[in-house]
Amino acid sequence: MQYVFILEQVLNGLLVGAYYLLIALGLSLIFALGGIVNLAHGGFYAIGAYLAVMLTDRVGFFGALVASPVLVGCLGIVIERFLFRRFYRSDPILSLLLTFGLAMVIEQGLRIVFGAAPLPFSIPAELRGQLLVGDFIYPRYRLFIFGVALAAVTATWFIVYRTTFGRVVRAGVQNPDIVGALGISLAPYMTAIAALGVGLAGLAGVLLAPIAGVHPAMGAEILTAAFVVVVIGGLGSFWGVIAAATLVGVVRGITIYFNPSWGEASMYLLMALVLLVRPRGLFGERIEKFE
Amino acid sequence: MLNSRASLVIVALSLALLPFVLDVVGLPLRSAIDVVAFAIACMGLNILVGNTGLVSFGHGAWFGLGAYAAALSQRYWFAGSVILPSLFAIAFVAVAAVLSGALILRRRGVYFSLLTLALTALLFAIGYRWTEFTGGESGLGGVTRATVLGVDLERDSNYYWVIAALAMAVCFLLWRFHRSPVGSVLVAIRENEQRARFIGYPTNRYKLIGFLLSAVVVAVAGTVSVFNHRFASAEPLSVAFSGELIAMVVIGGMRSFLGPALGALFFILFREFLSIWTPHWLFYFGLLFIGFVVFSPTGLVGVAERLLAPLRRREIKAAAMAGRRTAEDLSLPQNLLRAHAHNSLVLSARNLEKSFGGIHAVRGFDLSVRDRTLHALIGPNGAGKTTAFNVLSGLYAPDAGSVELEGKSIAGLKPEDITRAGVGRSFQITNLFGGLSVEENVRLAVQARSRMRYAMWHSTASLSDIHTDTVELIGYLGLAGIESAEASSLSYGGQRLLDMGLALATQPRILLLDEPLAGLAVAERERIAKLIKTISAEIPILLVEHDIDRVFRIADHVTVMNDGAVLVDGTVEDARNNDKVRAVYIGSGTAAIVAEQRKSVVEPDRLLTVDSVNTFYGKSHILNSVSFDVRKHEIVALLGRNGAGKSTLLKSLVGIARPEAGSIKLLDQETVGLPSAEIARRGIGYVPQGRGLFAGMTVADNLVLGRLKRTGGDGIRWNDGRIIEVFPRLAERWNTPADYLSGGEQQMVAVARALAGNVRVLLLDEPFEGLSPAVTQELFEVFDRLREEIAIVIVDHHLDLALALSDRTVVLERGSVTWTGTSALLKDDLELRRKVLWL
Repeated sequence: MQYVFILEQVLNGLLVGAYYLLIALGLSLIFALGGIVNLAHGGFYAIGAYLAVMLTDRVGFFGALVASPVLVGCLGIVIERFLFRRFYRSDPILSLLLTFGLAMVIEQGLRIVFGAAPLPFSIPAELRGQLLVGDFIYPRYRLFIFGVALAAVTATWFIVYRTTFGRVVRAGVQNPDIVGALGISLAPYMTAIAALGVGLAGLAGVLLAPIAGVHPAMGAEILTAAFVVVVIGGLGSFWGVIAAATLVGVVRGITIYFNPSWGEASMYLLMALVLLVRPRGLFGERIEKFE
Repeated sequence: MLNSRASLVIVALSLALLPFVLDVVGLPLRSAIDVVAFAIACMGLNILVGNTGLVSFGHGAWFGLGAYAAALSQRYWFAGSVILPSLFAIAFVAVAAVLSGALILRRRGVYFSLLTLALTALLFAIGYRWTEFTGGESGLGGVTRATVLGVDLERDSNYYWVIAALAMAVCFLLWRFHRSPVGSVLVAIRENEQRARFIGYPTNRYKLIGFLLSAVVVAVAGTVSVFNHRFASAEPLSVAFSGELIAMVVIGGMRSFLGPALGALFFILFREFLSIWTPHWLFYFGLLFIGFVVFSPTGLVGVAERLLAPLRRREIKAAAMAGRRTAEDLSLPQNLLRAHAHNSLVLSARNLEKSFGGIHAVRGFDLSVRDRTLHALIGPNGAGKTTAFNVLSGLYAPDAGSVELEGKSIAGLKPEDITRAGVGRSFQITNLFGGLSVEENVRLAVQARSRMRYAMWHSTASLSDIHTDTVELIGYLGLAGIESAEASSLSYGGQRLLDMGLALATQPRILLLDEPLAGLAVAERERIAKLIKTISAEIPILLVEHDIDRVFRIADHVTVMNDGAVLVDGTVEDARNNDKVRAVYIGSGTAAIVAEQRKSVVEPDRLLTVDSVNTFYGKSHILNSVSFDVRKHEIVALLGRNGAGKSTLLKSLVGIARPEAGSIKLLDQETVGLPSAEIARRGIGYVPQGRGLFAGMTVADNLVLGRLKRTGGDGIRWNDGRIIEVFPRLAERWNTPADYLSGGEQQMVAVARALAGNVRVLLLDEPFEGLSPAVTQELFEVFDRLREEIAIVIVDHHLDLALALSDRTVVLERGSVTWTGTSALLKDDLELRRKVLWL
């Protein structure tokens, strides 16, 4: 009997890992290409959630599921163009400070517009209820989140690894100078990746809005978890993020089973452990600029 | 800026006036205490951020932990006391800081910052949830103040003055700390951590000291605060609070001593005033923070400095070498000599091996340096001298083999340990503490071996023996008169001299000098060579140099390298008269290719005109008014020593390195200032040194990227069919990842990729590097045939190949063009070649 519960927690952990993955993936993409550690990433996640609340009344939940990430992506384009771009070749510390300030502004801005109290937002009717999968009972909505996250990650993988656009991006990660010398201007690609990255965060915001609760500080809450995943996986590694998200989700799941209040602390301890053994994360690359 | 006693006076005055000023604007005494608490916290944080360059996003943790430790220890152990809980809090945080610092400081830069973020998030999670202990969300109340030494601290006014005195003491301690040896080392770490290690500082230990001190100071602030509000909560443990601390430091000014305190005051005032008008003051504060990061990263103090600059007396510290006083007496200061046993053999390397990726840079390398000799390590470009040198000096660990200093193994030791063992090295690319003065640079090196190097109380200026030694060394080097000039503003020659001085200051048993004469004017070269010869009479020197003539004049012993191994090892005469040595410098194995006379098809029209181009790398002036041109169907060879600027010139041509001044015209259209993508599209193809293929992508992918955006224009363009026709070998490798190809195949792909798009001028940077004779021949023929379609500029250290292929040669030395003419002249006239190319 206990075995079943543990397995359930593990699988629950995988579901949790899926939405960490969405956020961590966007973070990793922006970092890999532009070298910007986007501490404001949680802010875009929060904006995605708030937009979902506003849009659901007009276009329904599924409409908001599409529209909100797109709008967040557009916001990402603006932010990249006017803020990030100034800092690609400067001291990484400055971009850390910049995005930190941006996170502050976004959180406070949301508070101004929507108030500090959490906004009510419930799971859409079609997705409520449980589903029986073999011996396990799962909330339908969690499975839905998992499915959407999986689709988004797969789509991202496809874009990065199977399209010419993705090849340019990967080349730009390795050697931006040579890409320029081949006549390819990287600027539009960086804008697109920034938009994609924050769009993924926005998508995560929509998906999690009914569960996590929509409030201004939600960005800060998820941000540290996302960074833990990215650091464990290794900054700049696609598969590293996936492996790390899974690992973090599972470890969290198991820890919560034994002692719920230690769930959050467990992932920090996991990070400390990983870094002791592998200082660059599980699959991390050595990127001179950031050491 | 304000590192003088004036800052302490300002602090005292501010503390005295603060309550009255705040009273005037309607703020209670408790706010004044808040200001003082935050000011202390920010100054503590700045030890790491401003001084050491480590940005911690988690210092709120120490504030919160200090507060909790004081509150909890008062509740359970020291009821009714203030002093004991405070002391306990400091001790507790100190232990926590050492433990977490040991883990977190293993990483630097961004990783360090993220780890501090995680630390505070972890502590917040614990603090928030461990409700029985910490009070969780509602916090921990019931903290009392006591009567200390007859003063009743329950009264806010008494508490303020006690805290003010405490703050004054903390400021004074920090002031002394920043002027102490440890403080100076932290700044050195910020400026150039690698160099700090190479003059003998175990930087991790110093960073831990800084981390510990910083945490303790912030904990003091936390205790002040907990007794101020009589309340401890998890709020300071939150990431938001740490962020506010960082914001205060940045807005105040992280490069000044008092800037952070100013930032704290600004924050409190801003908060109090703006919250009168709007509850969303933090939003505006965030906007202000972003504004500062984007427009004035040095904060309010930086703004003030810029505003006051025209008013302040301008002291122009000219770094003109003319300001120098050169010493006539060239005898080595005795304090630089290390006491040692009399060994004839000082440094010995046996069977060293070192590979990078697929390149076997050093193999079976043996070397013995005897005491009191000047031992030169020479060899053509690409022979492996620099790699061998870097292994001997501790920059890299050898893959195999041994390195011993007086019988003790030093292979694979950390830089600081090798330096302390007695190996002092200078660097080929200047590696100084750029933002510090000449005197500070030398003092740091001298201080590293002093027993006062861990002192935190005495000021560095007051340590007389360090001071004497520093002055003596500066005089010996011939840098007296410009001690206060910033190191990065020195001329190139001055910087090389200073670099050598830093190595000398470490009291080495053996001195390793990496191209000390490179880039110096002739007169300078004479003087430095003489200096080196004199030093070698007392301290053995291992020298890597390209100026063969001079080396042969001063060296006692010579080791010639070629292709990663030792070719000849003996006296100067041995090397000079050896046929093999002659062969490697002239060229070998390619006799057949170069014997054939190549037909020139040059047309008189100019394709590429380069006029007075000046390019910088940071503050280093790499290209100095370079002018030359390339005509249609011409092949131009660009020759010169390492560091002469050849690669930078190619990068300037394709736009990767942007020239500061001058003009580059392709078919009469100016390209300077255009982004490299645009220049490439107009017809400049580039094959970089090391090929620059994209790993993880196939040959086909690389080619697709090559032609993606260069579809227009009227230069030549190779389609896939043509590529396979010229390089048939690539047909079977079409879908293989580029990093799995052999060196020769990779070079072919790199060339094909450049030619896949619109090309009128092809730039080749070391295309024959690491290739077998067969592949070299193949490529040579390809380039030879290409002259009928395009023009080529080639950089390669295989002189015979470059000279046989090209129509004309341009020679670069120290960033300037020193010779241009027909390649045939250089190819056939060896006397001329020696004169022009130092070989």
